Amino acid sequence: MRRALNALIQKELRQTVRDRRMMVLLIAVPTIQIIVFGFAVDLEVDRVPTVVVDQDRSVESRRHVRRLFADGTLHLRYQTQDTQEAERLLISGQANLALIFPSGFQRDQLCGRPTQVQAVVDGSDPNRGRSAGAAVGGYFGQVGPMLRIAPPSGRVSVEPKLSFNPGLDTAKFMLPGIIGVLLLLITTIVAAMGLARERQTGTLEQLMVTPMAPTTVILGKILPFAGFGFLDLSLALTAAVVIFDMPTRGSLIAVYATAGIYLVATLSTGLFISTISRTQQQAFLGGFLFLLPAVLLSGMLTPVRAMPAWLELATWLNPVRHFIELLRANLLADAGFLERWPNLLALSLYGLFMTVLSISRYRKTLE
Amino acid sequence: MNTVIEVRDLTRRFGDFVAVDRVSFHVEKGEIFGYLGANGAGKSTTIRMLCGLLAPTEGVAMVAGHDIRDDARKVRAAIGYMSQKFSLYLDLPVRANLEFYAGAYEIESPRKRVQEILELLDLEVHRDQITGALPGGTRQRLGLGCALLHRPEIVFLDEPTAGVDPASRRDFWRLIRSLSREGTTVFVTTHYMDEAEYCQRIGLMVDGRLAALDTPRALKRDLVPGRMFRVSNVDERASRAVLSGMSGVVDVQPFGTRLHVRVRPGGPEAPDLGKQLSQAGLSGAEIEEIEPTLEDVFLAVVDPTKGSAAA
Repeated sequence: MRRALNALIQKELRQTVRDRRMMVLLIAVPTIQIIVFGFAVDLEVDRVPTVVVDQDRSVESRRHVRRLFADGTLHLRYQTQDTQEAERLLISGQANLALIFPSGFQRDQLCGRPTQVQAVVDGSDPNRGRSAGAAVGGYFGQVGPMLRIAPPSGRVSVEPKLSFNPGLDTAKFMLPGIIGVLLLLITTIVAAMGLARERQTGTLEQLMVTPMAPTTVILGKILPFAGFGFLDLSLALTAAVVIFDMPTRGSLIAVYATAGIYLVATLSTGLFISTISRTQQQAFLGGFLFLLPAVLLSGMLTPVRAMPAWLELATWLNPVRHFIELLRANLLADAGFLERWPNLLALSLYGLFMTVLSISRYRKTLE
Repeated sequence: MNTVIEVRDLTRRFGDFVAVDRVSFHVEKGEIFGYLGANGAGKSTTIRMLCGLLAPTEGVAMVAGHDIRDDARKVRAAIGYMSQKFSLYLDLPVRANLEFYAGAYEIESPRKRVQEILELLDLEVHRDQITGALPGGTRQRLGLGCALLHRPEIVFLDEPTAGVDPASRRDFWRLIRSLSREGTTVFVTTHYMDEAEYCQRIGLMVDGRLAALDTPRALKRDLVPGRMFRVSNVDERASRAVLSGMSGVVDVQPFGTRLHVRVRPGGPEAPDLGKQLSQAGLSGAEIEEIEPTLEDVFLAVVDPTKGSAAA
């Protein structure tokens, strides 16, 4: 079994290394994607186009405007005296935030009377709205109790959360999710193609007349691509740390061990799809049908806790959810390997189940 | 002699279609056993069942002493298989394919064996070439090489020479005969009747049934009784009509521009055929007595209408 397995792994590696497109898919694509996606999430909460309606035109109001725009979350796009003009800009989407300094702002402030600044936020993009609101709220929260934000008014408004620190932290929070999804995409598709290609080209038949056990064949497909998965993980982690300053608070050994289980889970899912597909096209479509819900229900973009109870329960079957939660806990919060044992257990059971299922499906094609 | 393949009432159905219908035969050690038949007659289905790639619907088959249902893995370890469709890795070099199968069969001292096979099949010069770039004949030799790596007792070759040039076909059969001399049993299907002559025994498949099984000589004697004449240098269509009506003539089959005329024992002689033709205004016919070929056997066995269509 050992020699046959070695032969399979060696063959798989030789084929992959010779296939230039495969190498690009396995190495260049994930590296580029982590960088592009990393910036994409980073930019999402950055540079919110803002219109300032400074009716006071005082030293004090100008000072606040300057400081508000200093950290780059907000971007001063328009200045006007006219609240109606500001509203038009909001409605047309040219600005997502309007800040209104009423006349008498400086006078009231100097006299110690409560002053009001009105922030109108376009909440149609909740993420952006939330971070804009938070930036405003955070700023005035620090400036002092003599300033209060006006209660929500206008078309849409978002209640600022003072504790929420937008910007970079969001990107950091997103990065483990991106890594999980990247590994998922690559390994599932590669594995789904694996057996389907051999079936289509006829090499599977030749493989099936050898006395190799089904377990050997399936492991021979999982192990080499798990190797590439580890390589991708390393590239993605490096990019995340170097470019986006993602913290790695937990142990890297735990990260790689978790990833190992995750890769077995995604690769065996791909292989299972492969065993039920006749052609590579079917395998690709099958892979896609699995990938889409797996990503959407992973908690990468929308929190799992915000889903209806039955759906949240269903996400327990999703290996991506568990891996992302484990990775976030480990990298960002230094939760140990074992503190997240329910995730770990669910992920391991899923991987084991899919591997056994693939082996038994492959055995059936033999009979 | 001992039996290495024994098949009893082997049947395979696909839905309502009976691909292989209660086939029984046995093959002795070291024999070259040919399996002949039209496309879809059930040749490949039989081979695939014997190699454990397809489960039989009914019947029993013992290959190399193992039941193909219960001991498929032991069967696989004892046989080599070369499928109709080339099924090695086209994107790998010749040697990588051999090394992979050497590993897959877990053979002893794989390096040495791969070298032996490269030499035996005259592949040494091609060993670093990408398999996909090889010409047909060389590919077939590599396919055979991979099937022989683990020194199987039996090799199953499904149309091994389809689409291969005549010179390579001849070399290929030379190899098959030397294998047989060394005690390897060869189970081979083919389309080429001239190749079938090399087989020690031949099974003829017609519509899933084994219609005839014997040595080529016995098949000719039993299935094409009487004598055969070849009529040439004369209008084929007209002379066919003339000769078919003649008493003592069993069958007239066109072979290209010539006719093969089969006559009953004690039937007309060559001059009689010539006379009949010239009486009908067809002169200049060249007539000679010939040995029946396996193609004649094949045509005699299959349904006459289908026979003329196949010819």
